[in-house]
Amino acid sequence: MTLEGPGDLDDRERAAVEAELRCLGDDEFVTAERYTEWQVRGPTLESDIAVANIAQDELGHARLWYDLLEGFGHDQVDLIWERDPAEFRHATLVERPYEAGDWADPVLRGYLYDTYERLRVEALSESAYAPIADRVEKALGEEEYHREHAHNWLERLCEDAEGRRRVQAALDRLFPHALTLFAPTDREEAVVDTGVRPVPLSELRREWRNVVTPFLGSLGLEVPVADHAELLPAARGRDGDHTDAWESLYNEFTFTYEQLGRESAPALMPEPGEADADV
Amino acid sequence: MSEDGPVDLGEPDDLEGGPSYCTYTDYDHGVAVEELPATGADADGPEAAVFEELQGVEDPEMPISVVDLGLIYGVTVADGRATVTMTLTYTGCPARDYLQEDVRQAAARADGVEAAEVELVWSPEWNLEMVTDAGKADLREFGVSV
Repeated sequence: MTLEGPGDLDDRERAAVEAELRCLGDDEFVTAERYTEWQVRGPTLESDIAVANIAQDELGHARLWYDLLEGFGHDQVDLIWERDPAEFRHATLVERPYEAGDWADPVLRGYLYDTYERLRVEALSESAYAPIADRVEKALGEEEYHREHAHNWLERLCEDAEGRRRVQAALDRLFPHALTLFAPTDREEAVVDTGVRPVPLSELRREWRNVVTPFLGSLGLEVPVADHAELLPAARGRDGDHTDAWESLYNEFTFTYEQLGRESAPALMPEPGEADADV
Repeated sequence: MSEDGPVDLGEPDDLEGGPSYCTYTDYDHGVAVEELPATGADADGPEAAVFEELQGVEDPEMPISVVDLGLIYGVTVADGRATVTMTLTYTGCPARDYLQEDVRQAAARADGVEAAEVELVWSPEWNLEMVTDAGKADLREFGVSV
């Protein structure tokens, strides 16, 4: 059965849709926030532009998913600027600080994240909630070159021993956090059996490991083989429990809003649909 | 960790022949979707009037109407209330609010319309096939090869 909009959802379905959208939107938003740190620090001007552009894409995708949460009565203020940091549901991978000056970190992180994102968003093409399924093609179409960018850089970095050592260190550091991308929220069961996302996260994790392990292995890297339960860090993100890096990142991106004493997110023009026909 | 490295990485292709051009100078034309975009060719009454107003709304970056760029997916007018369904070329479009508001105001100006709203949709995905022939001519004149 297709669920066409917020009005078609019972409480359990609505909670499932909201949980899925928060994971998607928060991952994208926080990923983009972190990328901004690299925008003027890449190894070449081309890299700066690529990272800036990828960050812009991810912000666009955060907006795609947050827009749908606005359909449930939320607004930008409660979704971002005044949300309790413990209510964010992104994975810990995307909030971790970069290893200072280590280009291998954003490259490897981008690869792990974008490979995950493709699998999760592809699974949503079959979503029972039509407004989600309708956005999949657009999002996927803008993601392909992110993975191409990460692939190209990983191959280049792994051509010599020093580069490979750096990527390996990033992999050892980030792989456990990448597994939190697949950590369930307390709504996972409802998300799957209502068909909001018909594929369980455990299945997506299996597919993801089947993609990243051989590719990274082919570059001469040693990919952790242990079961996810052994590798997972203490904080999982998806349950609102975050690493110590999250508070400072949150304070940083809400700083201007706080400093200006804002209570709303002012727009230059009225929101379409909310404005009267005042022309 | 292993110092052996991968067995075969292939030759780095760009190092000896000098720089190569960016891969993304070619545009992917995409699939033509029947009945899209909506251009108002068959519209009449207040809906035709809305399309006429929308013809005057240009993309903020290029001298091309939003109608000819193929962003408009539908226009309905019921009881003086116009609903414009539109898409954007890019989810990260920084001119989203600006463009939507321009479209809303233009629709609200049309004869027979008292109020207008804009609904943003993402499916089917916009692609170059959505650009009308008139729009392609505008883009060529502007210097974009389509």
